[in-house]
Amino acid sequence: MQLLLYGVLLTFVVFAALAVAFLRDILSAIIAFAGFSFGVAIVYILLRAPDVALTEAAVGAGVTTVLFLLAIVRTVRPGGDRLFERVAWGPAIIATGLVGVLLTTVRSLPTIGDPTSPVATSEITRYYLENAYPQTEVENVVTAILAAYRGFDTLGEAAVVLAAGLAVLVVLRKEVYV
Amino acid sequence: MIDLLTTHYNYVASILLFGIGLYVVMGSPNLVKKIIGMNIFQVGIFLFFVTTGYVDGGAPPVVGHGEETFVSPLPHVLILTAIVVGVSLTAVALALVIRIYDGYGSLDEDVIKEVQVDD
Amino acid sequence: MSATDGSLSAYVESTIIMTTVRVVSPFVFTFGLFVMFHGAESAGGGFQGGAIVASSIIMLAFAFGIEPTREWLDDSVIRLLVGVGATTFVGIGIGALAFDGAFLEYAAYGISHGVKYGIELVELGIGAIVAGVIVSLFMNLAGGFNHDSGGDDA
Repeated sequence: MQLLLYGVLLTFVVFAALAVAFLRDILSAIIAFAGFSFGVAIVYILLRAPDVALTEAAVGAGVTTVLFLLAIVRTVRPGGDRLFERVAWGPAIIATGLVGVLLTTVRSLPTIGDPTSPVATSEITRYYLENAYPQTEVENVVTAILAAYRGFDTLGEAAVVLAAGLAVLVVLRKEVYV
Repeated sequence: MIDLLTTHYNYVASILLFGIGLYVVMGSPNLVKKIIGMNIFQVGIFLFFVTTGYVDGGAPPVVGHGEETFVSPLPHVLILTAIVVGVSLTAVALALVIRIYDGYGSLDEDVIKEVQVDD
Repeated sequence: MSATDGSLSAYVESTIIMTTVRVVSPFVFTFGLFVMFHGAESAGGGFQGGAIVASSIIMLAFAFGIEPTREWLDDSVIRLLVGVGATTFVGIGIGALAFDGAFLEYAAYGISHGVKYGIELVELGIGAIVAGVIVSLFMNLAGGFNHDSGGDDA
């Protein structure tokens, strides 16, 4: 049952990504991308990652899609009579090669959901799960790691977000700093 | 090969997303679409990371509700911040695209190259 | 679809979208704040809540037009939001130094449940940063490239 659900969702996700790749109309590609993000968000829920799913649904399917729409409103939307783009053979061969090479390595990864996988049994995972509540009184371990154990890292991420905001201002010359 | 689809399905899907993302970045002449391709590649990496943390029968990492096994919270934290940084990067890239369109009047890679040669 | 002038010509007034957004957006906004404030006990936190709050404002801009939204929500408000968020985060971090702790060592404040309150305040700061920056990214991309205030004459 679980497997069937994954099968349907992952097929949807991969085909939505293929639609993004081959639809000629940019608007259609962006809408396919929104569907793709939403499908991935549901996969995250199946993987028991509600925090990531929430963010992916709001950011991927919501904000990113809107930003892409704004970009084509501000520029052009190349039309054309064909529904699909022609296959660019060079890049297609390179991409297929990458997929082929990486697929040979998949077998050496632990099975999905394996309780003895290196991530599940690692010292650090156990430490966080056992000590997060006693040390921080925060039940959501993700929040505890984000704001307490990896607070420096999060400060850096916040700095990146702020820098991106400034960079857009400078690139679009909303403010002249230099 | 088929048994991989029943035991490593998410990894296979994320590798396919790598391939599609790479193809769009390299193969599509349109700059906006290249950025969408970048996002697809990124999502492939996110899916890979979140999948590594999954444990069969594990609960979401919110402790204190009686569950015994949990999925690993660390990949979730890393990906959570990466998603928000990803949208910021996308916005900067789109701002650059808007500037490029302003300068060259086109988003097509080949047309931009021609304009550059003419200059 | 050409929008070379300063105005956003792609905006089309739609009764259905406006009514839907008017009904839905207060709930989305409240849900975003809930996710931000409740990040300690359930799934959620600053990054998630901030993104949801920002998307509720983007939804308003989508339904009622970007210029009216910009007039309603002034740029200085967003700047203030981002500034307050960043100050909260860094302030709590540096404040711990004053109590002989390390940077961001919440336990150094020495109040009961100090770690929890510290984490929640930092999460709120992150939420303010993320919400503010995403809204400003949206507004600026919507404004497009501004020729008039070019760097040449500055």
